[in-house]
Amino acid sequence: MNKTLHTRRKFLRTSLLGGAVAWTVPAFLERTFFSLDAMAADSAIQTVTGKDGTILVVLQLAGGNDGLNTLIPFSDDTYHRMRPMIGIKPEQALKINDYLALHPSLTHLRGLYDEGRMGIVQGVGYPNPNRSHFRSTEIWQTAVDENKTSATGWLGRYFDSCCQGADPAVGVNIGSQTPQAFSAAEPTGISFARPEQFRFNSAQASDPKAAEEFFRSMNELPAGESNDGGSIGMLNGVADTGGDTLDFLRRTALDAQMSSDKVLEITRKSVAPVTYPGGNLANSLNLVARLIGGGMPTRVYYVSQGGYDTHGNQAGAHERLLGELDGAIGAFTADLKAQGNFDRVVLMTFSEFGRRVAENASGGTDHGAAAPLFVVGGGVKAGLYGKAPSLTDLHDGDLIHNVDFRSVYATVLENWLKAPSREILNGTFPTLGLI
Amino acid sequence: MLKRLEPEDWTPEAAAHLLNRAGFGGSPLEIAALHSRGLSGAVGSMLDGEEDSDLFPPPAASVPMDVVDLKMKSKDLPEEKRKEMQKMVQREQREQTLELRGWWLNRMRWTPFAAREKATLFWHGHWATSAEKVKEPFLLWQQNETLRAHALGSARTLARDITRDPAMMRYLDLQQSKREKPNENFARELMELFTLGEGHYSEQDIRESARAFTGYRIDPISRQWRLQPRQHDGGVKTFFGKTGNLSGDDVLALIFDSPQCARFLAQKLWVFYAGSEPSPELVEALAAEYRAVDFDTARFLKTIFSSGEFYAADVVRRQVKSPVQWLIGLSKMLETPLPSPIVCEAILRQLGQIPFAPPNVKGWDGGRAWISSSTLLLRYNIAGYLVGGKNAGMGLPGGGLGTARVDVEKVAPVRATADKVCDEVAWRLFQSPLPPAVRGKFTAYLLEHGTGTTARRDLLNLMMSTPEFQLT
Repeated sequence: MNKTLHTRRKFLRTSLLGGAVAWTVPAFLERTFFSLDAMAADSAIQTVTGKDGTILVVLQLAGGNDGLNTLIPFSDDTYHRMRPMIGIKPEQALKINDYLALHPSLTHLRGLYDEGRMGIVQGVGYPNPNRSHFRSTEIWQTAVDENKTSATGWLGRYFDSCCQGADPAVGVNIGSQTPQAFSAAEPTGISFARPEQFRFNSAQASDPKAAEEFFRSMNELPAGESNDGGSIGMLNGVADTGGDTLDFLRRTALDAQMSSDKVLEITRKSVAPVTYPGGNLANSLNLVARLIGGGMPTRVYYVSQGGYDTHGNQAGAHERLLGELDGAIGAFTADLKAQGNFDRVVLMTFSEFGRRVAENASGGTDHGAAAPLFVVGGGVKAGLYGKAPSLTDLHDGDLIHNVDFRSVYATVLENWLKAPSREILNGTFPTLGLI
Repeated sequence: MLKRLEPEDWTPEAAAHLLNRAGFGGSPLEIAALHSRGLSGAVGSMLDGEEDSDLFPPPAASVPMDVVDLKMKSKDLPEEKRKEMQKMVQREQREQTLELRGWWLNRMRWTPFAAREKATLFWHGHWATSAEKVKEPFLLWQQNETLRAHALGSARTLARDITRDPAMMRYLDLQQSKREKPNENFARELMELFTLGEGHYSEQDIRESARAFTGYRIDPISRQWRLQPRQHDGGVKTFFGKTGNLSGDDVLALIFDSPQCARFLAQKLWVFYAGSEPSPELVEALAAEYRAVDFDTARFLKTIFSSGEFYAADVVRRQVKSPVQWLIGLSKMLETPLPSPIVCEAILRQLGQIPFAPPNVKGWDGGRAWISSSTLLLRYNIAGYLVGGKNAGMGLPGGGLGTARVDVEKVAPVRATADKVCDEVAWRLFQSPLPPAVRGKFTAYLLEHGTGTTARRDLLNLMMSTPEFQLT
């Protein structure tokens, strides 16, 4: 069944309208795929209609978030001894049990935890931790062993194996650079920092209106012909069907035009029902909420917040960063609840590494290893997962991980996106009871 | 054996293809000049080129910052001052790296020896090393000079020099490799990514070769390679069937002697220059050629550029331009200078290829991976910006470029009919005739909007905002 469907989709995508004009089929034909939803229900091939289906939001905390000042072992003497300058005082921390507390800035997250909508996974990492930002980020993004490299990212492999033939907007990254996690054998997913940049900029032309009109005529399927190959061959430049690469480019151009129209349409008409705080992250999550509310056929959103590389004078900076994070997630979840979409969305955070247990001489912390991460959403079973790493049994002065980060990926893939994680993660990783 | 291109197939299109692939393309006049030399003359003129180094005075990065001196000076300073100094150094490094990027891009744009810069770009993506980790601009510049010196020379010598290159050593942590704890990371990448490809060596080969490369250090003053004998494992090793007190150079020589190395490198060079995946037979033929000239890259490329295979229908105009090729080529076609280094960097960042900052040790994936729906739209919009010159909504630094940069009367001159205007501009931008349907649309645009300067300027913008323009 899966096999047949897969083949059928490939067929639809590449040769529905006959081999010679294959390129004129846009990479997605929504209506056709829509009718296949029923068939896809128990298949590995996933179709999203935009109105239902689960959605994953991945939030990267770039720079290496200090896990010990995020989820604080406040009653552990070692913690206070190792961090005389930057340790959070027990009376300020937001306690969640006798041993652990959240950073005082994390009031909304604390609320979500109390509501039963947030899981905290402790001690997440991987064997032989690498302390280089870029290498460790790459390990998280590609989800391979620390001594291996991969050309594809974990989300890219999910797109490749489960979303073939889907709308290119199945993955949406808010930012100018596509995250390595999206790298795929068949490039999928769209990136934009601001929706107004994700469109053909006809303002460069001296006659913008004419340019816009002309551009559309070059990049649009003739009306009513998306399901009928009869005269589709009239579209721009059929005479040259000489090469796959040109076909690929033309399909991508159609994709771009269609998803950009959709993004613009959604963002233009929708207004957030809640007030978001300022800052880039809040803007990004606001945009994601509007795209979700508008019915984008997206399964994975990717947003990031930078600045976590707190080598010096950490206290104030970290408080500000976590405050931004907390405010943005608070507004985002309130927004989703108001939309009625909270139960469809799971948000997970990650950072390339935590920081060392002991503070340094500059009131900061240096690159470390294992750290906690948050998983938030209507479908999440609240609680603590994994074990709090020991502050005394260290490896090179660093916390030792007890949950492999790929177990978190396996959990969201298997239990949330309903995707086979073995193939995507190149191995079997136990899932957590999170979702 | 590769077939030699038939003389009657040496057309202006073929000459344009050679100029695009061996270099970064050129104006119609440059294409015509190259064509008039005939195939051998053209290939020779590209690869035996010379340039006046005075054209490109070295950038600030060519002088190492005296880090030791700075450390000494700052040692006794109070914490705050020391931090200030650190920040100053970092700022200086960022500025130098930016200047270095602009320097290289302009060298690609203006050099009369474009084939050498193109090959330098190939080797940069091959022996990938990133400023993200290396930090010191001097080391990046030094590696770039090493790549340039051997780009069209011996790949053996280049490999030897790169294993001793401080930027590479730092990038793969080779300078921390000790006798007691050899760094296998470098040895692994050396074989997996740089010379042989996965599956053509054993874990034992990695362990033994890692021992041979122990003790490689960067001299703190000269910033050059040196061997630290106390950290070097001088013991007996067995590698590729040879046993002895093997050095790093010995290991490298053994790797280059294996037939797989020629296959691996020849295949990668073919993909870079021809843009298509070679058949197994072609790989064997290419490898035999590369070995026959003992890894002399210029001689090898001469064979490729003179071959019928290189001008085949599935090769010509079937390669996705890399962002660097796109930017340099565009500026050559439009006969404009490059924008400022900071704008070039922002453009290349948006498009996904920043020189001196490949994404990882594998370099750039290239080919179709350059293109996503967002980078395609960005290419359209940046092309529009480079012609139209307005910075509205572009997310690029600085003000607009203005419209004066592009001499429309020169690059898209008035002709008797709209057809003629279109054909001439299309030849400049695509170096091949447009498919009739596309050509018809452009002609219709001119008929509707007239052939005034602004309409012809818009025509340039619209022609570059096409899938076809992304190919070379």
